[in-house]
Amino acid sequence: MQQAIAKPEPALRSESRLSRRLIRNKWLYLMILPGLLYFIIFKYVPMYGLIISFKDYKPFDGINGSEWVGFKHFHRLFAESDFGAILRNTLVLFGMNLVFFFPIPIILSLMLNELRISFFRRIFQTLIYLPHFMSWVIIVSISYVMLTMDGGIVNELLTSLGFEKVNFLLSPEWFRPTYIIQVIWREAGWGTIIYLAAIAAIDPQLYEAARMDGAGRLRQIWHITLPAIRSVIVVLLILKIGDVLELGFEHVYLLLNSMNRDVAEIIDTYVYTAGLRQGQFSYSTAVGFFKSIVGLVLVMLANRLAKKMGEEGVY
Amino acid sequence: MNGKVPSIVLSMALVAGALAGCGGNNEKENAAPSGSQSPSGSSGASQTPASEAPKDEKPTEITIMLPLNTSETPPDTIKNEVEKLTNTKLTYQFFPADTYEEKLNASLATGSLPDVTYLKNQSTFINLKGAIRDGQFWEIGPYLNDFPNLSKLKTQILDNTKVDGKLYSLYIGRPLARQGLIYRKDWADKLQLKAPETVADVVAMAKAFTEQDPDGDGKPNTIGLADRNDLVYGAFKTVASWLSTPNNWGEKDGKLLPDFMFPQYIASMDVMKEIRDAKAMNQDFAATSKTDQVALFTSGQAGMYIGAMSDVDTLNKDLVKNVPTAVVDTQALIKGPNGELTTWSIPGYNNVVMFPKGAIKDEAELKKVLAFFDKMMTPEVSNLMFWGIEGTHYTVVDGKAKASEENKELTEREVKGFKDSVIGESATNGSYDGYYTLEARIHAEQFAAENEKIAIADPAAALDSATYTEKGAELQSIITDATYKYIYGKLDAAGFQKEINTWKSRGGDKIIEEINAARTK
Repeated sequence: MQQAIAKPEPALRSESRLSRRLIRNKWLYLMILPGLLYFIIFKYVPMYGLIISFKDYKPFDGINGSEWVGFKHFHRLFAESDFGAILRNTLVLFGMNLVFFFPIPIILSLMLNELRISFFRRIFQTLIYLPHFMSWVIIVSISYVMLTMDGGIVNELLTSLGFEKVNFLLSPEWFRPTYIIQVIWREAGWGTIIYLAAIAAIDPQLYEAARMDGAGRLRQIWHITLPAIRSVIVVLLILKIGDVLELGFEHVYLLLNSMNRDVAEIIDTYVYTAGLRQGQFSYSTAVGFFKSIVGLVLVMLANRLAKKMGEEGVY
Repeated sequence: MNGKVPSIVLSMALVAGALAGCGGNNEKENAAPSGSQSPSGSSGASQTPASEAPKDEKPTEITIMLPLNTSETPPDTIKNEVEKLTNTKLTYQFFPADTYEEKLNASLATGSLPDVTYLKNQSTFINLKGAIRDGQFWEIGPYLNDFPNLSKLKTQILDNTKVDGKLYSLYIGRPLARQGLIYRKDWADKLQLKAPETVADVVAMAKAFTEQDPDGDGKPNTIGLADRNDLVYGAFKTVASWLSTPNNWGEKDGKLLPDFMFPQYIASMDVMKEIRDAKAMNQDFAATSKTDQVALFTSGQAGMYIGAMSDVDTLNKDLVKNVPTAVVDTQALIKGPNGELTTWSIPGYNNVVMFPKGAIKDEAELKKVLAFFDKMMTPEVSNLMFWGIEGTHYTVVDGKAKASEENKELTEREVKGFKDSVIGESATNGSYDGYYTLEARIHAEQFAAENEKIAIADPAAALDSATYTEKGAELQSIITDATYKYIYGKLDAAGFQKEINTWKSRGGDKIIEEINAARTK
């Protein structure tokens, strides 16, 4: 009994302490308000809609009025024999992104950092940023013109060199290389921004000291620049893994055709076809939900790995 | 976009909760009048607003959503004239045709469809049948007889657009069979080829155009056929129909089966494969868009185009810019190997317009909207929307409309956006037939009329299958992919059969069953 009566007291006190703290730092709290609202309105509130993946959603009946169907849509997803292939394609593209794309901005920014003439360096930086501002539609169309078998410049070159024409656009073997090359072309330059900023923050005295000790360019990179930006690399890597399944819906969808569907259909394109083109809202929500879970698991794994390696991680 | 599609769907779905909640009540109120109330007193009464609306009556406000086939939204020139003629205040919401289906589904999910909703084509209509059955749209069948012009719409085509025997839509009519071959007559003359009469002639022409240097520049830089990644409106379905392949569904031993289960379908794939293997068509056709396909033809690289013969005007216009000596012609009525003469036809419409209950609250409002469409079917309004303003966009020659040559760009910008929204066809809405000067186009019109006599209709056009509505489109992609793979030589006949079995086991068997059940009903 005594305990029960005593209980409200500390709660009250902590409450007043909280409100006092709120008042004291009101401007700070006010400043995080827009960000907070953004996440609540655009990230948390829409999660309510996830329940339609457990219902047979009919727009006319509304979310609450639709009938509950339990795991029906998830059953359908896992029973679809294509599902394995779609998940595999997604993970393979993700893996290729990590292995082939991720290191390139780092290498590029190390190289840029070594450029002495700042005029030349600035021109070069601007040039490699540019593709980022082109939409995928344009990039894929340019590739089409270059790669088509009917007068495309690449195939003309191959024939003039005495090789057979290659069906880049339609053969399943060429889908992944085409994809990753386009990603590198468009995004590699843009990706250098954060690394360059991190490199700029390195104390120049470190380099001076290294030079005194007789370290060459490569040794400086290896022993100073890379360790200094290591934590940035790790954080970006974890964030990248969080985007796992954000492989660029538009990009893949534009490259997708009947002949390469076996390797090119990923979760995003599948959700799009099933949900928006065919109006199967509940089913596609279930697929999207599943994708988010896979993403979450991967981020948690990556974060734990980072902590094991002595880095800070993102949470 | 960037992979955010699911979250977009979700957030919109959320809004839908609130909106659709209101809609639910209306359904009950409205369920009663949609019966057979019209015959007695009400029909006489409701004819008045349809035929002679009093001048001082407030204009009806109507919001209309429709796909846009041009690059920019048309100005209000035509809209203002239409408003004057129909006593309405119209708000047009144009959305690019390429992404119209998404817009439609998203608006549907959020319950934000406007008063008048145009779909995109027949397949969007089929995909929407689920929503129609859920009662999201007004059933308009019982009202049609109240309107003198709407009641002229062709019964047979209306039947093709019924869902479970009820009419929910008005149709935008199209000639039944416009499919044929457009080819370079100057090339054919040079190589001494006559207009192809059989499928074998078509294949021979494609090969000759590729191998015999028809443009005479001494380089192997021409191909026969330009095709695109569309098995229906591209070359494949038309070639298949010349070989007597059934149109979507065909009868075998008294039972309806899908077209790809017939030997003619395999034969058609073989024809396409032969043309492709001979390098007599664009090798990448499975990844070629319509723009790129048209460019192949208009740049003078390809000499044949199989599809809608009415495309010949635009093809010719751009072709002679690049190759001033080029002459094109059209050809249809092409015989199969056993002399059979067939082609395929659409069910008489290429699009429909529907009336969501979410936006139109009651019967009176619906009647006002239908009255607008009734007026659209008068010659004044339909000509205005289809051809434009007489004297500016077209002139009348021999009782036919001749599109203005010098104002072509203006017509494209001001009129084209409205053209595809006119309901009915010239026989029912009284609009002018086209007056054409290009010989190939005149031939095309004649062939289209001839085609109708030999056309195979889709026997399942008016039949429904719940499984088809749910996952027919997804299943169809199995067959589409397999067809391309067969043409590209990645699948043999046995492999194709295996894909058919996959189709069957994933729900195809059920579709066949349901279609046949619907037929005997």
